[in-house]
Amino acid sequence: MTNDSLTRDALPNRELIEERLVVWYFLAAIGYLFVSMLGGFLMAFQLIRHNPFNGIELLSPGRWRMIHTNAIAYGFLANAFLGNLHWIVPRLTLRSVMSRKLSYFIFAAWQIVVLATAGGLLLGEAQGLEWGETPVWIDPLAQVGLLLVAVNFMTPILKTKGPMYVTLWYFLAAFIWTFLTYAMGNFVPEYFVAGTSAGAVGGLFIHDLVGLFVTPLGWGSMYFFVPILLRKPIWSHGMSMVGFWGLAFFYPLQGIHHFLYTPIPMFLQYGAIVSTIAVEMVVLTVIVNFFGTLKGSSRALATNLPIRWFFTGMIFYAITCAQCALQTTLTFQALIHFTDWVVGHAHLVMFGVFGQWLLGVMTYLFPRLLKSDWASPKLCEWHYWLSAVGLFVMALDLTLAGLFQGWSWAALQPWDASIEVSQPFWIVRIWAGISMFSGQIVFCVNLWKTWQQSPLNKAVMSSAVVPA
Amino acid sequence: MQPTSPRASWRFTVIIAATILLPCLYGFGGKFLEFVHIFRGNADGMFAVTPIVNYLLASLGFFCLLAWATMRGMFHDIEAPKQTFLDTEEWLDHRETETAR
Repeated sequence: MTNDSLTRDALPNRELIEERLVVWYFLAAIGYLFVSMLGGFLMAFQLIRHNPFNGIELLSPGRWRMIHTNAIAYGFLANAFLGNLHWIVPRLTLRSVMSRKLSYFIFAAWQIVVLATAGGLLLGEAQGLEWGETPVWIDPLAQVGLLLVAVNFMTPILKTKGPMYVTLWYFLAAFIWTFLTYAMGNFVPEYFVAGTSAGAVGGLFIHDLVGLFVTPLGWGSMYFFVPILLRKPIWSHGMSMVGFWGLAFFYPLQGIHHFLYTPIPMFLQYGAIVSTIAVEMVVLTVIVNFFGTLKGSSRALATNLPIRWFFTGMIFYAITCAQCALQTTLTFQALIHFTDWVVGHAHLVMFGVFGQWLLGVMTYLFPRLLKSDWASPKLCEWHYWLSAVGLFVMALDLTLAGLFQGWSWAALQPWDASIEVSQPFWIVRIWAGISMFSGQIVFCVNLWKTWQQSPLNKAVMSSAVVPA
Repeated sequence: MQPTSPRASWRFTVIIAATILLPCLYGFGGKFLEFVHIFRGNADGMFAVTPIVNYLLASLGFFCLLAWATMRGMFHDIEAPKQTFLDTEEWLDHRETETAR
């Protein structure tokens, strides 16, 4: 697109992006992050036998554990990504979303879906599927919501002419994949297949939710923000396209690697392992592209906090993927299945990679959205270090705990022995969680101070005062 | 690590693509052949129908998209979008600054 056509076709900035909605989505995401972390704390205290709400059914750790996971997936990640989409898609396509009213409707509807899910889980109405615990009466609403999101964002994307940037490919695919994945996981095992067969579909759902909803939106965002932050193009757009098509063709069959050694036929288990190794190669394209782009600009890691968030997330990504390669081998799986290794891995992916990237995006975008620099750059640094170090300690701690648990079970020691050996690790986990939680409190304090000094706040205050 | 020329970058991308695609296609081909054999012989094959049909449908859709994108010339100058995108961003930022004044 030439500069002439840009000048001619593009909407004014104010009409292009609904910035208020981006802020609302980010604030909702931060709110659910707190809820999720509180759920995590409740479960963590239960494990060290200090549950403060013992005997209260509504506050039972089993239910709050589901709120912990669902609030992260559908509350934090989904809201943050929707905010991201409202910023990125109009800037890449130079077209606004299909309907702003629809955008506001989706925002309200999605908060109702997440809150209703939390309410349903607390009342004990969970569906029997990991990550798909949303009560059955919410599933159709969520499905319609995902359809509306797809229509609202795909309309401007499909109107673009000429070769698309990789971010738009990922987003386009994510809208379709998320809709199909949600339907597959929440309806097929519930109404159409049963038993181990439903387990196989459940395995696909668990992993596809990460790989076909979170991953394309995360990778797409990374490919958008990193070149902007470094002020140079990505190392190889061709390689990013290899990554995209690799994800499209290899990801959908690997979910069964969650159910190795089950009655699922071995050729499907082997297929999932082969597919996982293929995806490891696909992930390499992203890692190589990121570090290739960063090469020559490493000083930015000291001076540019958002790029440091992305860098840290990418390091955790490399670790996560190395873990994946180990986990899907049958030998290693026999040791770590059902242990805290898996819990550590999940935290590394969700908070260590995509959480860090999204917090980096917020660190970059909030000053632009609020038209004010951060009130305290020092607090921004504290937010980064408390979150990154806390997560690193937690992931390392749980990984080690998982190995000790696995060795304990492999040695045929009594169950209680594995619980005892886990206690020190679970205590360390709480301290790591406190560090991460403190980081988010610091972030909120800084955000509040920044809002206080923002010209938008002053405009709101003065408009509130004038009528009186 | 910046590629010395577009040709070198293209060659490297093709090597990476082949490294990913060829072994995986071989692996998948083998597993699908095995599936066909099982499907003819015992009930295990039936069990696998749901996940495999899921995969085939999704892949068919993306194969059609790949064919459509290729025919529309989306990959003719595969490195062009990364520069166009940055130019657009720069232009949008510039316009925002101008408007703010």
